[in-house]
Amino acid sequence: MRTIQTLLLTCITLIAFNAYAQDVDEIIANYFENTGGLENWENLEGMKIVAKVPQGGMEIPIEIVQMTGGKQYTKVIVQGQEVMQGVFDGEVMWSTNFQTMKAEKSDAESTEMMKLNANDFPSEFIDYKEKGYTLELMGTESFEGTETYKLKLTKEPVTIDGEQVEDVTYYYFDTEAFVPIAQESEMKMGPQKGAISQIKMSDYQEVDGLYVPFSMTQGVKDGASQPIIIESIELNPEIDDSVFAFPTE
Amino acid sequence: MKKSLILGGLLVLASFSFAQEIVLSGDEIFGDMKARQIGPALMSGRITDLEAHPVNDRIIYAGTAGGGVWKSNNGGASFTPIFDDYIQSIGAVAVDPTDPDNTVWVGTGEIWTRNSTSIGDGLYKSIDGGVNWSKIGLENSERISAIEIHPEDGNTLYVGSMGTLWGPNEERGVYKTSDGGATWERILYVDENTGCSDLVMDPKNPDILYAAMWEYRRTAWSFSSGGNQSALYKSTDGGANWEKIHNGFPEGQLGRIAIGVAPSNPDILYCVLESEEDKDKGLYRSEDAGASWSHLNNDFGLVVRPFYFSRIVVDPKDPNVVVKGGLFGSISRDGGKTFKNLGNMHADIHDIVFDIKNSDRMYVATDGGVYRTWDGGTTMEIVANIPVSQFYHISVDNETPYNIYGGLQDNGSWYGPSRSPGGIEARDWNVVGVGDGFRVLRHRTKRVLYSEMQGAENIWRYDMDKNQNKSIQPLPVKGDPKLRFNWNAPMELSPSNPDRLYVGSQFVHVSDDMGNSWRKISPDLTTNDPAKQQQEASGGLSVDNSGAENHCTIFTIAESPVNPDVIWAGTDDGNVQVTRDGGKTWQNTTPNIEGLPKNTWCYHIEASVHGEGTAYAVFDGHTQNDMNTYVYKTTDFGQNWKSIVTEDIYGFARNIQEDYEKEDLLFLGTEAGLYITINGGKNWSKFTNNMPSTAVHYIELQKQTSDIVVGTHGRGIIIIDDISPLREIDQEVLAKDVHFFQTKPAMFVEENGFGGTSTEMEYVGPNPSRSAKIMYYLKKRHIFGKMTMSVLDDEGNELIELAPGKSKGINIVTWNGRIKQPKTAKGKTFSYGGFTSPRVPAGTYKVVMTKGKETYETQVTFENDPNSVITTAERKSNHETTMKLYDMSQDLAYLVYQIDEFMAKLDEISKTTGDSKVVQATSDQLNTLKEKLVITTGDNYVGSAEPQLREKLGKLYSKVASGFEAPNASEMENLALLEGQFNEAMAEFDSIQKKSWSKVQKVMAKNNIANVALMDFPEFLEKYK
Repeated sequence: MRTIQTLLLTCITLIAFNAYAQDVDEIIANYFENTGGLENWENLEGMKIVAKVPQGGMEIPIEIVQMTGGKQYTKVIVQGQEVMQGVFDGEVMWSTNFQTMKAEKSDAESTEMMKLNANDFPSEFIDYKEKGYTLELMGTESFEGTETYKLKLTKEPVTIDGEQVEDVTYYYFDTEAFVPIAQESEMKMGPQKGAISQIKMSDYQEVDGLYVPFSMTQGVKDGASQPIIIESIELNPEIDDSVFAFPTE
Repeated sequence: MKKSLILGGLLVLASFSFAQEIVLSGDEIFGDMKARQIGPALMSGRITDLEAHPVNDRIIYAGTAGGGVWKSNNGGASFTPIFDDYIQSIGAVAVDPTDPDNTVWVGTGEIWTRNSTSIGDGLYKSIDGGVNWSKIGLENSERISAIEIHPEDGNTLYVGSMGTLWGPNEERGVYKTSDGGATWERILYVDENTGCSDLVMDPKNPDILYAAMWEYRRTAWSFSSGGNQSALYKSTDGGANWEKIHNGFPEGQLGRIAIGVAPSNPDILYCVLESEEDKDKGLYRSEDAGASWSHLNNDFGLVVRPFYFSRIVVDPKDPNVVVKGGLFGSISRDGGKTFKNLGNMHADIHDIVFDIKNSDRMYVATDGGVYRTWDGGTTMEIVANIPVSQFYHISVDNETPYNIYGGLQDNGSWYGPSRSPGGIEARDWNVVGVGDGFRVLRHRTKRVLYSEMQGAENIWRYDMDKNQNKSIQPLPVKGDPKLRFNWNAPMELSPSNPDRLYVGSQFVHVSDDMGNSWRKISPDLTTNDPAKQQQEASGGLSVDNSGAENHCTIFTIAESPVNPDVIWAGTDDGNVQVTRDGGKTWQNTTPNIEGLPKNTWCYHIEASVHGEGTAYAVFDGHTQNDMNTYVYKTTDFGQNWKSIVTEDIYGFARNIQEDYEKEDLLFLGTEAGLYITINGGKNWSKFTNNMPSTAVHYIELQKQTSDIVVGTHGRGIIIIDDISPLREIDQEVLAKDVHFFQTKPAMFVEENGFGGTSTEMEYVGPNPSRSAKIMYYLKKRHIFGKMTMSVLDDEGNELIELAPGKSKGINIVTWNGRIKQPKTAKGKTFSYGGFTSPRVPAGTYKVVMTKGKETYETQVTFENDPNSVITTAERKSNHETTMKLYDMSQDLAYLVYQIDEFMAKLDEISKTTGDSKVVQATSDQLNTLKEKLVITTGDNYVGSAEPQLREKLGKLYSKVASGFEAPNASEMENLALLEGQFNEAMAEFDSIQKKSWSKVQKVMAKNNIANVALMDFPEFLEKYK
């Protein structure tokens, strides 16, 4: 309750402040302030998200775990079986093949990309300068009718299909609430290469003092999208390291 | 005193009500309403300029005449649009050689100046490879022909501006910036009628520039290429000084000049001249960097239509290989002495680009898309995913699904469906006319359509079933003057008489027998100005009398849907004529229109369904160099016209479509996109949700679906499905936090086919959703707190959870009428049948939306397919059997869960107590039972084990649930068999529990081991995933 009050107060202050030009660091600072405080974010060591993916009547339960150091997995639960996808232990990235149900390592470029992003949990924006990222305010823009600050985050270049390419994500921060409501990036691989991928975030709710989005929709800008309904979020879950390790037969 | 008080009060009241009015624009209203781009792409459209990345041969850019900029990241296999938010007519694309991955420049405004060409609005720059763009300047250039970038300094650019086509202006010539576009200097200017049509930088010395200056002008009735000011210039000091380089050129006037420099030897130049004498036209070559020229060739391919084809490209590796744009495109391998045509592809070649590494690979820009070759231009293949087709006009029919008909620039006439199994593919489009295509109209009651080619040279009546056509255009009869048909001649159906067809020349012709006989029902309705009828002299130095400049013609005809005696006709020279007696007498109402410049082209008249005297007239002044928007409404047969234009609208307009239900809901097509008003034109909002800023030439409203169908001149057909929510929006709705819109019942269409045939590289237009739609307006975007949506049955049980949209404005959530898939027993592999979600029966369902603490409710309704031959009883049987199998699947899942739990407990006992006979025997019994129930070995592909009860049950369930009919005899027998097996298994499990487990329990009791703890069935259903 106290947090909500603080949040409201902050919002009101920020609305008043809104008339002034913002720089990126102020926006990011406001974001952390509004979502639980930078220190709390910095102390976050992991997050477990229990969610479901609705697909035309089908409901696919998933569990997403992300930890500091880049350790992560997505567990897809199908007919009682747990199928691990996008698992990374800091060194090796792997997924279970749905045909053989056996673990297979991801290609070298994807793994390298994952390693580069290993320092991004809990937020790309924490110490972004130290990480060598650049963050630029591109201006205000209406995103689906809502006024936003558009930020451009450039991370280390990545190698895709043998070519080094920039790793750029655009974030849209609501100008009143200072939380991102969407992010976009140009797809650099696959048949839709060149199209803009889009993730929309909403339903920010408090979990142990941090405000995190409980609803996400992923898709291609102006194209099809896939919502994810988040049922619960656990901070700092205890996950045995062995879960992330590439299984040996 | 009293008076002023009242006045003051009134003023306060007025300002109060003004302050209360909620005015939203653009995506604040439209929210989730997204347009659907359905192509077609099989004939693609006009490509104006191609650009290769200087070091990465996977990246190619294509600028188009009306469809924006497209980028390929895969060596030209496919392209993606990257410029949708900006004006879509493109003159030049350039990649910065100093930052080629990121910095891209786009000069807007097509430079192939045909009659139907669109306009640009300046120069744009991206610094992230085309993801974001900003406008840099030269807003009034209208057409940018070239962008040349200094190879070492990306901030130094030279830009060729052709300037306005339809009138004089001064923002033309060569411009230079040294600060990345912040400031510009015009470094070469001739006069207000002469623009820079080509500009090339020496590839080895950036201070050397060649600029072709072109004196040219188009009017609605003529074209003029050439004059004393056309010339070829050279600068050797970065544009500070320029000299004509005409040594070897013929004397007299020149027209459009193309210039190319051999990258491998910059002393070798090629230029293509348009000159007074035919013998002097064609290709010139210089071997001394322009100091002197030799005339090499005046073949047809080199001299054809210079205004349309003026590009000469030299192989980057071989100075003697040179390619010229033209009707077919020509290639020389002997330094320009001789040429042969490029391989078979769409005619009208505007640009060619060589692959940077392999000159056998080339990309070619045509009137019908991008083509690529791997063998130096001999064989050509179209890129099949660029839907930049240019419709002049479209119409729709009333079939289900409805079809869209229309004609294309240089690409014939077509019709295709608004939906098709697997999406709308190339194979779904049918060709129903040749030449340039314009209006295509479907007979209201017969499988017959009318199509036409340019200037009504042919109007065809086409029998869609017999594949027969008859040419039926009106011909002059005794006493007639020459009939003047517009390039895009009007044809219109009668709303009152299905066999009636109107066609316009300078007269209104009407046929009541589908074109077999014609009568004129008007005098010459145009200004009949002889000065505007000299087309045989049109073209300038190269005569160009294609019919495209025919003028003083009727352009639009409309019979009132309320009174067939009220007929409107609008002319290209500015008249709006109306008859109220079926053509006996006509009145020119143009003098009643205030603020409309004289002779402004009447592009469209929309006769309203809301009153016989009500009509809208749209005027397009751009051919008089007037880019303003002109849209008027009359309610009294044109006695008075009122402008409904506001400053919200950008670009000149061509078409308006009224809503058939809400008079104040209007859709306006302009050169820069689609605008919508919900209040009769007091405010307009640009619709940008997946709707590019392309020229809209025609808009239709399909009555049954309430779909807005937009015919664009550059991005094919674009549909906004079901605009009915816009009918409901008013001040009351806008003031609410949440408002649910009325929605039409959804239908369980009884189709379950196999989809399409397109490959990954072919464009496939998406189908509209068949799901039920839950549509609501949100006053503000939902950001904080939970927002959920559930569909409930009659008893309030949740059938399914949906993901609600959170946008400000209109949100559309779809539900396909299916509930969650059944819980399926855990095995070693997947039971694919278990992935099927069953349909609910047709009916009305409650939808509950929560938003924070608030709860909102609405309903959705599903109906059965009215074309179905399936009876209610059969449908009921399908559903009941489906749900029986659904329940059996869940029961089996619970049974297997129990077995697994028992077996886990037996393991625990073994570990604690060591092996015991009882435990082992029970375990064996359970294992044997389980092996009959689910697959316990193998994988999900060809390593699959023999199917067991779960798989068999899943297969039958999916078979029945996926169909619509009652289960057949074989399915029912199979069900009986599986039910028998299922019951046996249940009995066996009971028996194990009674007989063996009681013994196990004793072992557990003895060893203080807790009994197995099972979830009950409802808890299992909730927790098992």
